[in-house]
Amino acid sequence: MDLTFYGEDVKGLIRVDPRTKVLIFITSSLVCVSSYSDIGIAMYSVVLCILFALCGKPMTALKASLALGVVLFVRAMMGNSKGAPEVIVMVLTLITTSFMFAFPTLMSIYFIVKTTRISHFLSAFQAMHVPVKAIVPVAVFFRFLPTVTDEWNGIRKAMAFRGISLSPVQIIVHPWKTIEFILIPMLFSSMSVMEELAAATMARGMDLEVRRSSYEEVKLHAVDYLLIVLFAAMFVLAAVIAQMAKEGAVL
Amino acid sequence: MIRFENVSFHYGGENGTGEGVDNINLTINDGEVVVLCGSSGCGKTTLTRLINGLAPHFYEGEIEGEVRVNDLLVSEAELSETSRYVGSVFQNPKSQFFNIDTTGELVFGCENQGMSRAEIAERLARTNKDMKLDALIGRNIFELSGGEKQQIACGSVYTAHPDVYVLDEPSSNLDRKAIHRLHEILKKIKESGKTIVISEHRLYYLMDLADRFIYLDDGIITASYTSAELARLSDDELASLGLRCTDLNKLDKDPENISFANAGQPVVEAIDLNCTKGGNQILDIERLRLPEHAIVAVIGDNGSGKSTLTEALCGVGTSDGSIAFNGRYLSERERASRSFMVMQDVNRQLFSDSVIEEVMLNASESRERALEILDKLGLKDTCERHPSSLSGGQKQRVAIASALCAGKEIIFYDEPTSGLDRKGMERFGEILSEMRDKITSVIITHDPELILRCCTHILHIENGRVMGFYPLNADGVQRVRGYFMSESDENTSKDRKKYGIFGRVLKYAGKWKRYVVLAVIFMVLGAFFGAVPYAGIYDLITRFLDEGSLTLNGSLPDIGLILVAGILYAVAYTFGLQLSHRAAYHTLENIRISLQGKLDGQPIGNIHDMGIGTVKKLFNDDIESVELMLAHVIPEGFSNIFVGSVILLILIAVDWQMALCSVVILLLGFAASRQMYDVGMDKMGYYFASSKRLNNSIIEYVSGMEVVRIFNRSRKSGERFEDSVYKYRDFGLAWYEVCWPWMAIYGSLFANVTLYSLPLGALLVILGHLTLNRYILALCLSYALGPLLLHTLALIGSMPRVNYKIQSIEKALDRPALKCGNEEFKGEDHSITFDKVRFAYKGDEVIKGISFTAKEGQMTALVGESGSGKSTIARLIAHYYDVDSGVIRIGGQDINGLSLETLGDQISYVSQELFLFNKSIMENIRIGRPDATDEEVKEAARRAGCEEFILSFEDGYDTMAGACGNKLSGGQKQRIAFARVLLKDAPVIVLDEATAFIDPENEKKMNDAIEEIIRDKTVLIIAHKLSSIAKADKIIVLGKGRIISEGTHAELIKNCEEYRRLWTATEESNRWILKGGQEK
Repeated sequence: MDLTFYGEDVKGLIRVDPRTKVLIFITSSLVCVSSYSDIGIAMYSVVLCILFALCGKPMTALKASLALGVVLFVRAMMGNSKGAPEVIVMVLTLITTSFMFAFPTLMSIYFIVKTTRISHFLSAFQAMHVPVKAIVPVAVFFRFLPTVTDEWNGIRKAMAFRGISLSPVQIIVHPWKTIEFILIPMLFSSMSVMEELAAATMARGMDLEVRRSSYEEVKLHAVDYLLIVLFAAMFVLAAVIAQMAKEGAVL
Repeated sequence: MIRFENVSFHYGGENGTGEGVDNINLTINDGEVVVLCGSSGCGKTTLTRLINGLAPHFYEGEIEGEVRVNDLLVSEAELSETSRYVGSVFQNPKSQFFNIDTTGELVFGCENQGMSRAEIAERLARTNKDMKLDALIGRNIFELSGGEKQQIACGSVYTAHPDVYVLDEPSSNLDRKAIHRLHEILKKIKESGKTIVISEHRLYYLMDLADRFIYLDDGIITASYTSAELARLSDDELASLGLRCTDLNKLDKDPENISFANAGQPVVEAIDLNCTKGGNQILDIERLRLPEHAIVAVIGDNGSGKSTLTEALCGVGTSDGSIAFNGRYLSERERASRSFMVMQDVNRQLFSDSVIEEVMLNASESRERALEILDKLGLKDTCERHPSSLSGGQKQRVAIASALCAGKEIIFYDEPTSGLDRKGMERFGEILSEMRDKITSVIITHDPELILRCCTHILHIENGRVMGFYPLNADGVQRVRGYFMSESDENTSKDRKKYGIFGRVLKYAGKWKRYVVLAVIFMVLGAFFGAVPYAGIYDLITRFLDEGSLTLNGSLPDIGLILVAGILYAVAYTFGLQLSHRAAYHTLENIRISLQGKLDGQPIGNIHDMGIGTVKKLFNDDIESVELMLAHVIPEGFSNIFVGSVILLILIAVDWQMALCSVVILLLGFAASRQMYDVGMDKMGYYFASSKRLNNSIIEYVSGMEVVRIFNRSRKSGERFEDSVYKYRDFGLAWYEVCWPWMAIYGSLFANVTLYSLPLGALLVILGHLTLNRYILALCLSYALGPLLLHTLALIGSMPRVNYKIQSIEKALDRPALKCGNEEFKGEDHSITFDKVRFAYKGDEVIKGISFTAKEGQMTALVGESGSGKSTIARLIAHYYDVDSGVIRIGGQDINGLSLETLGDQISYVSQELFLFNKSIMENIRIGRPDATDEEVKEAARRAGCEEFILSFEDGYDTMAGACGNKLSGGQKQRIAFARVLLKDAPVIVLDEATAFIDPENEKKMNDAIEEIIRDKTVLIIAHKLSSIAKADKIIVLGKGRIISEGTHAELIKNCEEYRRLWTATEESNRWILKGGQEK
């Protein structure tokens, strides 16, 4: 996974409004928790990957869908050979199932992070009259992902000089010590960044009471409406399939 | 207008970052530039916060009095209200951006004010234009360098158009060029009539901008200076105020401070250090040695690779190459354990609850010793405090203390004095000097004051290459000052696109990329057909098992299938190979063309440096290796991996347990190959170093053979050679010794996947979970898998070599091109001016700040000993190289703005060596002006005094120069060169040792020819024989890259010692020649 948290959709064939993306995230989460059928999730995930590709990240989408394909294939083929030790079957089932059911949610978060710019996000939700107080934390969260990555890189280097090992053995033997060594500098460093960031933001006129304008045009386009309908429909469909599977009607 | 009326402010609660300010009465008028200065903690920052309202609205505290900006009472108004009038730029580039993308950040302030979309767009466009931000638009802020971030910060304030700009130490993370740009930006803002308030430690770049300097001490305004007043203060007075220097010119090194006596053995040695990130070459260092007991300052512009270099040296960054500490090549982990880096953001490296625990964390020293060290660093009182409660300077010293207690040998510092005031900087310098006996320090810094205070050596990095490594003696001081004072403000940061190794090559493929894709498709088909026979065999065996016997008739379809598949395999594979080769060779063509284009744009000097051998190797051998990659690695590797995965999937479908078993085996194999790579890389340092040493000793052995034989020293030199051969053998064996077990493991695992799945499958068959048919199919598939994997592995194994070759191509292409514009020549005359020109060649500075003018219509001569830089000056005029700093002008126009063609029209440069093309002499002269008629060529030849000897050849002007090249004497060749110059008739003539081949018999002819050439031109002549230039209008005497004196012959003979010496020397040699002539 590419750990540069920078969202843009300049190369995309379509541009999707941040509100639609959040809606997709919500339906994804609902699908994950409510649908128990492989087919429902597979269908949903494929559409999600296609959307990701259309928004300018075809390689990411391809890799994700390949991984998904392999997992689905393994799940489907698990029945072809009997007599394997219980443990192996259980572990394999656990891995594949959690991958399957986490896929839509993680993918839609990644989708938001990778294709949305913070300013676009802010303005889209302001246009919907969502109070700034509710949006800013999300925006700050986005802003903080790359910061944390950055800090982590620095801390890792600092640890190398201090002879603090990050090997699996060390982590297992001294879990608390390791966490402490990571957390203390991370917290203090992040805290000072946070404070300065807040000061800078306020000094530049960000105010929860004042209404902001937006450089970017925010409007739900035909694509957005189409996607909203599509994902809502898929959610319903997935739920129906799951229900039917539960009743044992099909599959 | 900003008004402070009796303002006092004291921080309350947790924000105790400073003590606050008292009784501030200050009025700043519109359009004024005011600098707040004073030592750390004096209240500068608090004042800026009072202006932009952060105190008391964000940093809470008690406030008395009133702060007004225009008519707004800042101390009462909402921050969002204040932000309409006041724009702020902060010190830390890391934490002042709300957005991740640059465009969003630039318009952030405007959006907050609720401007209309059209208005914002217009302002954004204007900001881009005024601040030249085009290259930075629409990018990830986290990818930008510190200087670029600061530009964006200024830009985003500029877009919001406030009346007042407040900047808090804006220069602390900037390099010299970025400071220049900041200066230009501030100038522009000032010109637009805005008010600027800057809190700053660095003062020198503000001297011409600032109207007033307000000096604060302990929260009280104690003085106010104009620029002129401040500039008059001596360094001692500034020091007592705790202020940094106001003029870099005055900055000098304390001569007593310099002692290189104990800077001895190299403590760090790096050979062939290469580093690429995302397909971009960041570092390319052939050899680097840092001496023991040195304090080395690493200088270079933002993004030049300083941090990457230090990280590679201390073992936290990955790089290729060998790095030794104290003569031993060490792996990355070993290096990290023996060195330390004090990071710019020191918060990241404090891990414990108290200072004493922090330094004892991995200390090799006792607690008493640790306390002693803390005491020395002035931290004794703080040793029970929490590190995060300390000031920046103190935290830094805690980090140093922890390094000292851990017994580190080398400490690296990343911009340790950014944001430190004069006292902090001086204290830091003292600590370094005191530690010098035990520890070598390497400092990345943009701070000339720190360098001159304590450093002993300078390492100058530019574009990932070492531009120079020199001791900071008198010359070094000049040079480093020249670096910091250079007026260049260009932006060297590039938008580095990321490419993988394939992407790098494929970008040259152009339309042939299609063929690569097609080749891959055919190869996949081929590999598929290659696997089909296994299905046929499976079918045969199944039927044999089912029916008990096989008939020829019954097996015909299967045999046919196998045959057809075999043929199809051959066809598809061959066709695929054909396609891939076609693509490969066309790509090679494209790369060669592009390489040639890049070579054209290079300074001629660079090409000379590379040498004919290297260039030839690049064009032939290195590029050829791309063929391997395009024609084989990509299509075959891809198809193998693809088919391998398909087989694995089928295997899963056949029986997932056997598949799982195979996957586990394969994973083990990959782990083994990974492990081999890791241990191998650790030893690689030694291996590469010894191979390099072997190469060198072979060269030495062969090139010294003549001398060795004459002096009968062959045994000794042979020993050296043998020694390095043995060493190489030993290191090679050692490398194989550690790698061999792993190689054996993965080799056997990959080749024999079947071996492990066979018994498992058999067990499953016996237990009845698997039919025999399926078992056999699974075995067949496993058989097919092995060769595919081994083949792929062989291809992958060749990748490092290919990668290395491609890297060396890219390295050659990556060098900065000559700076050329495409302006028309519009100089007012043809005089040549050097303005403070500095130039270093291969790390040694050869031109050290030279300024002179060669006037039009006059003859200016350059004289001096060999190596004084005469010829270099001539080459610089012809724009063979780019100068490091300073400007060369022709008729008042910078030659960097001219294209090489335009410049070539103005200048004729005759060097010591003449190259004759293998054409007729007529054509060789015509090169001077290609559209000249035969008559004009002959006329020029006549005037240059060539006609006589040309006509003496059998074919006259049509004689092939190649054939008669050897027949021509030096003087004759020279005159052909003169003929070219006469034909070209350029207004500026540069003659480099044009009279070198003068001998008594042709002296007159040569001099006549020169007379012809230089009539009414700007002439710059370089000569060893002073007699020939004695009548020059101006003579410039050079010595060691500097101008010693200038004047006419008569003046110089009278006043200049050096000139007299040179003159006598030539006089004597003249007499010597005369005598020789007489004896004949």
